[in-house]
Amino acid sequence: MSQVNSILLYPKGGKPSIIANEWLVWNADESELSKLDQKQKVLVPFSWWLANGQEDTKNPNSELAKRIAAKSIGVWFAADDDILKHAAVIEAGKSIWSLVAADFPIFRDGRSFSTAALLRERFAWTGEIRAIGDVLIDQLILGARSGFDSFALRSDQNTDVALKQFDLFTVTTQNSWRDRRSQLDSQISSQPNRAT
Amino acid sequence: MYKYDQIDQTLVNERVVQFKDQVERRINGSLPEEEFRPLRLQNGLYHQRHAYMLRVAIPYGLLSAVQLRTLAHIADKYDRGYGHFTTRQNIQFNWIRLEESPAILADLAKVQMHAIQTSGNCIRNITSDAFAGVAADEYVDPRPVCELLRQWSTLHPEFAFLPRKFKFAVTGAEEDRTILLCHDVGIALKKNAQGQLLASIYAGGGMGRTPILGSLIKENLPWNVLPSYLTALLRVYNRFGRRDNIYKARIKILVKALGPEEFARQVEGEWATIKDGDDNFQQSEWDRVASHFTKPAYTLAKPISTQELINSAPENEQAAFARWLERNVKSHQVPGYASVIFSLKPHGSVAPGDATTEQMLAIADLADQYSFGELRVTHEQNLVLADVEQAKLLELWHKAKAQNVVLPNIGLLTDIIACPGGDFCSLANAKSLPIAKAIQERFDDLDYLHDLGEISLNISGCINSCGHHHVGNIGVLGVDKDGEEWYQITLGGEQGNHAAIGKVIGPSFGAEQIPDVMADIIDTYVKHRTADEPFIETYRRLGVTPFKEAAYLNRPKESAATGAAV
Repeated sequence: MSQVNSILLYPKGGKPSIIANEWLVWNADESELSKLDQKQKVLVPFSWWLANGQEDTKNPNSELAKRIAAKSIGVWFAADDDILKHAAVIEAGKSIWSLVAADFPIFRDGRSFSTAALLRERFAWTGEIRAIGDVLIDQLILGARSGFDSFALRSDQNTDVALKQFDLFTVTTQNSWRDRRSQLDSQISSQPNRAT
Repeated sequence: MYKYDQIDQTLVNERVVQFKDQVERRINGSLPEEEFRPLRLQNGLYHQRHAYMLRVAIPYGLLSAVQLRTLAHIADKYDRGYGHFTTRQNIQFNWIRLEESPAILADLAKVQMHAIQTSGNCIRNITSDAFAGVAADEYVDPRPVCELLRQWSTLHPEFAFLPRKFKFAVTGAEEDRTILLCHDVGIALKKNAQGQLLASIYAGGGMGRTPILGSLIKENLPWNVLPSYLTALLRVYNRFGRRDNIYKARIKILVKALGPEEFARQVEGEWATIKDGDDNFQQSEWDRVASHFTKPAYTLAKPISTQELINSAPENEQAAFARWLERNVKSHQVPGYASVIFSLKPHGSVAPGDATTEQMLAIADLADQYSFGELRVTHEQNLVLADVEQAKLLELWHKAKAQNVVLPNIGLLTDIIACPGGDFCSLANAKSLPIAKAIQERFDDLDYLHDLGEISLNISGCINSCGHHHVGNIGVLGVDKDGEEWYQITLGGEQGNHAAIGKVIGPSFGAEQIPDVMADIIDTYVKHRTADEPFIETYRRLGVTPFKEAAYLNRPKESAATGAAV
């Protein structure tokens, strides 16, 4: 169970800022969900949701139903969760989860970049996607372009340096969630593909 | 060749600023080495035995004279007066100070060069045919596709932390000169009857600890959908490639575990959802990039026969000139022109692929005078002037002699591919360079070398295989045995259209034995060859046995056997 104090929020089309963090990342292996304050916003593991989430939501008096009503529940994806295998659960989750997150077990594990990209592209996830775990300054640009719009930076990271990252690049040479490649915008007209 | 526009230049300039900040944070202590390491690697900066090493990209092997002069100045100003051309069309500087690396990158950016993604677990420098655009056997000039993919892969956010490094090669010729099947992804281009540019995709090839040739996973892919298809392919690899064991993390292990058909099916499934997006290249992008790869202003030159060329040389030089024409000059698409290979493999003096500041400056001048100001770097670690008028070959040969780059050994036994090995590299188990030197000294007789004909000899100082030993007709691999350096021999490897992985012949040898062992293997070939049979064909006809017997005959069993366990 962990909760960082602040979050770097960087909405698509907006400016980055540091805000207070309201969400607790719950690991499911410590304590019971019911022991957490009802008002506490909680991210539960996606694997836990698969095992427990669907049944409980059907009962309006269940712990989960109350949290859903209070918009205080979301899920976090582990780096090895295969989200495409559970498309229906994620589709249903769109109207239930107030936040989703993807975990970086270590900063050099890039799987969650693909998770974020798939959530945006395949599931058309329009809500916030948060990077959690071993999130360092030098992953911010990559994450922001892959599909993340908030970051629970590791507590030792300098937030002033972090906020400056997004100004480093003014051009890009491939499409991403945030922007198209600069070349397309600089061209007056672009014709459909024909044989060369 | 391709010239940056404002977007490319801005990106490279901004990358320099980003890296400078990362270096400053490393130096002021706020960024620990463990976390800095992948960042510096993604900018080609290694920490080697003696100092930092900087690997600079030469995208698809194409280099201007202006760029080569900058590399020469960098070697002079920041290094010890030389650079090392690598087997992946990069150049490495071995004696770099961390503090100075941002300044070097700024110098490079001024001539449209960079070190982006020359290392790290990301998409590396894209390599291609060193004779792209000029080779007589070319179907399609691969350079526009290479450049479009260079841009697409540069700072790609989703694929910066893959399970392991990821290497692309692109070819468009009948004969493969890129070792296409030893790449994570190999892209073979051709045109169909309607003139459409199509790609065949080979995936899961690689050398290293587990050498595997790539499998064909997709045919007839239109050029413009390469970004979406490659995104799908890389996404499957990023999500499912192994991360628990560094030696099993390359895509080849995933492709092998799933089987090429299943891997292709998964890629296809992912691609189906993104194939029509605007990730794909647009015709206008092709037009912009391809306009840089138009043919230079060739003069209408009369083709000259080899005999006429030889006759044009002074009588006392004719034999040497003829030999150079035979080995170091290649046929060209345009009548009256030829491509010239400068050998960076002089016998017994320096490391294969090394060039000094003085040589680089002189070669840049020769490129300006004789080849429209452009050069190529081959994966065999030589330099090419691609567009030389035949009528000027003799003059060029005379001038290049002064730079010690006209040894007529291209494709011969002493045109050795070698990694920097234990002299420099901190990964190496054993030295490569003294082995290469000893072999070159042993086989210093040009008459004999020419008589032997085409033989590739590749040396790697460790199983990472940067010296491409797996695809050498003769491969030498440095291994560590109880802190001592030993060398394992493989035979039967080949690059090109008949790519093959060599087979280990038996227990390894001590360094001092290698020249004699080579001599025994070569003698066996000479004894058994038929008229014009090249080494590799004799090997295929006879199998390993006679070579193996010769290599181990009269060698003390104990010295050979102690190196057995690798």
